[in-house]
Amino acid sequence: MPPRQPASRPSKSRAGKRAPEPPQQYASTDDPRVMLDRQIGALFEPIPPYPTQTEREGEFYTLRDGEMFLNVGPHHPSTHGVLRLVVKLSGEQVVDVDPVLGYLHRGVEKICENSDYYHVIDQVDPLEYVSALFQEWPAVLSFEKLMDVQVPRRAEYIRVLTGELLRISSHILYVGFYALDLGGLTPILYSFIERDEIVEMLAALTGARMLFNYFRIGGVNGDLNHEFMSRLGDWMSRAAKEVESSATLLNENEIFVRRTRDVGVLDRAAALRYGVTGGNLRASGVPFDVRRAHPYSVYPELDFNIPTRDEGDSLARYLIRIDEIRESIKIIDQCLHNMPDGPVMASLPRLIRPRPGRAWAAVEGPRGMLGVYTISDGSDQPFRFRIHDPSLLNLETLPALATGHLLADTMTIIASLDPVMGGIDK
Amino acid sequence: MDRTLKTRLEARVGSYLRSPIYQRHDETEIRIAPADVPEVLRTLHDVVDLRFEILADLCGVDTGEVMQVVYHLWSPMTSDWLRIVADGISRDDPRAPSATFLWIGAEWLEREAYDMYGIVFEGNRDLRRIFMPPDYTSFPLRKDFLLPDDAARSPGAGVRHVERTHVSADPAEGPEAGIRRAPVS
Amino acid sequence: MAVGDRGSGARKPAGSRLAPASPAQLSAPIVVPNTLWQSANPLAYDGGQPTEVTHLREFGLTDAGRNDAARWGALQVIPTNADYIVDLIRANSLWPLLSGLACCAFEMMSSATSKNDMDRWGMFPFRASPRQSDVLIVAGTLTTKMAGPLIRLWEQMPEPKWCVALGDCTVSGGRYKRSYSVVQGIDRVMPVDVYIPGCPPRPEGLIYGMLQLGQLVKDRRGHWNEREIGPTVPDEI
Repeated sequence: MPPRQPASRPSKSRAGKRAPEPPQQYASTDDPRVMLDRQIGALFEPIPPYPTQTEREGEFYTLRDGEMFLNVGPHHPSTHGVLRLVVKLSGEQVVDVDPVLGYLHRGVEKICENSDYYHVIDQVDPLEYVSALFQEWPAVLSFEKLMDVQVPRRAEYIRVLTGELLRISSHILYVGFYALDLGGLTPILYSFIERDEIVEMLAALTGARMLFNYFRIGGVNGDLNHEFMSRLGDWMSRAAKEVESSATLLNENEIFVRRTRDVGVLDRAAALRYGVTGGNLRASGVPFDVRRAHPYSVYPELDFNIPTRDEGDSLARYLIRIDEIRESIKIIDQCLHNMPDGPVMASLPRLIRPRPGRAWAAVEGPRGMLGVYTISDGSDQPFRFRIHDPSLLNLETLPALATGHLLADTMTIIASLDPVMGGIDK
Repeated sequence: MDRTLKTRLEARVGSYLRSPIYQRHDETEIRIAPADVPEVLRTLHDVVDLRFEILADLCGVDTGEVMQVVYHLWSPMTSDWLRIVADGISRDDPRAPSATFLWIGAEWLEREAYDMYGIVFEGNRDLRRIFMPPDYTSFPLRKDFLLPDDAARSPGAGVRHVERTHVSADPAEGPEAGIRRAPVS
Repeated sequence: MAVGDRGSGARKPAGSRLAPASPAQLSAPIVVPNTLWQSANPLAYDGGQPTEVTHLREFGLTDAGRNDAARWGALQVIPTNADYIVDLIRANSLWPLLSGLACCAFEMMSSATSKNDMDRWGMFPFRASPRQSDVLIVAGTLTTKMAGPLIRLWEQMPEPKWCVALGDCTVSGGRYKRSYSVVQGIDRVMPVDVYIPGCPPRPEGLIYGMLQLGQLVKDRRGHWNEREIGPTVPDEI
């Protein structure tokens, strides 16, 4: 054994001692042997400098220590369509998100400028393909304003009836996709059962399962028929119970609630500043619903509530949709009871040529306020056909909502905002 | 049609209006110069008896001669939609002030107007293309961007799209032959 | 409207640098040379060899691409009955890739869920990863921006693979025939085995198409490397 070195212990008393001088480790930065941090960092920069142009791009595509980019999409099972997210992560926590859109941009507005008004109604369906009638509705409303057409009351009731059916279908699909994005594979099957029934009903009425092309300027394309009414009666007799059971599959599921409570809180002021509409706005405490704020069609005669919640988190957005399903069932009930007789289509000239002018109309779709701004120049094609889709502004809140949460919560937030990429990308 | 809205607007923003307030059905329309957009929007948003707090839409319009930026607003104080047309943006160098100081949601709407028309919104922190690929060089919704008349005549095949299509074979028609112009109204 | 020359002189407002730089700069490839590390053995990690051909067209011109038997190597001597059985297995267990782009995706999902159940024919597992799937069902409009990622998905799928064009937009461009940003039919960018028209086609239509694909697989007619690869539409269209 080597001899033990005598340990030199410092004396325990501190009298008369000053703090020891720090060791001389730092050379001057002028010394060429010294590399500053950023020079060292440049050697190991994993991402080459991205040619930034805008301020936001510059601040987003600059990585700090410990951050990384993760590219989610555009092909991803959880992104409601082709949405690409560039997520800046610090570990598992999201620092920032940059959604990249446009993977489904089909140029519908340009095509509509080169189509006559009937074709515009058809072209506008596949935008929010989940709820196609809600795209046609503001388009025909704005065309009716341009042409000063009065829609018969029966047609209005049919529009409301089919619209609310489609709203229920869209909300049930929302529930299913929400669960699917979080990993629950069962509710989507229940949702698709309901959706298939509603959509078969509408196929009996309009002829198509998804892209209905049913509304016309001045009414709807065809009257209610026996097949539709029998399917509808059948469905209504068990609707409330079935919808409740499939929609409330998740309400008391602890995993679901814990994953969605307090995730992506959108407060009232931010929601208004982002221009968010629909269930997302009502979940943040603003009771704005176009059916009440700026009524159209026969909604003033119908009795329904506007569910509103204050929390603004993902769970509130989900629960609002469930409440809206119940309200929609009430509305359908009233429509069926009060359905007037009469024509379903106003009499119009065959060639639709509105006089020159501008018209804006907005309806309340399942995702928010859908608006259409039409400029007519007197010819049989619209001069400018602009569709405002609510999902675009709903999705714009994503960077603000997802910051600070984990990556998995990003999917929760997207699912709760319910974007449909067809509408966003037009 | 809200007549009181017309008087309130004339009282508050009357100095900015470039044409009389136009009301039809349930819409009220005002026309202003693009440079006045920030003040007008701020006034409409803050004033207690106007309170246009909800931005419904922001879009660009190409009339063939000039470009416009059109805002649609909603207020709980009135039963009308308000349309603000910022008229007179030149087609060669389209610039307009950004509304993002008031509604941050306008950022993406202005990106869309830039992508489709080329209108540069000054003050928008993120003005890049939103729908088209970032290296796309045209602005599709402009009136001089023509769609192919018939797919068989489109010169493109494969992945990359056509940008300028169906140029008229008739040399007598000038380069602006296909542009539809808006009525002067 | 010259993109790129928007310089506005000395004082730029907040949020300047708004206009993109020239398109050439944006689309120029960013090449990062590997200067950090070198392996001791210069032939390791495929050092010094050209990369394997990965593009379908070039691969289709090589021997391995033309002749499927080459992939079995020593098992070539097994008579064709085994190939028949293998194709039977493949046909009854086609795993689609979850590639729903737009509206037709909903009919695809509808055909996979309870009412029209594709699981009866073994097609239920919609894989999220292209490495694990057999069939690429392109459901929904293919835009020019999405064409790149979709082609990359197709190339990532291991052979044998088949492609199904679901809906009018993928068959021929459909209702977007005049659009500036829609690929006029996916057969311009990838070889298609089954075309299913409709806007959107009914789920029963998709199931019929998938059964036809199964028949194609069993008849070895749709064998993926004996078809023409690449755009099948002539140039003058």
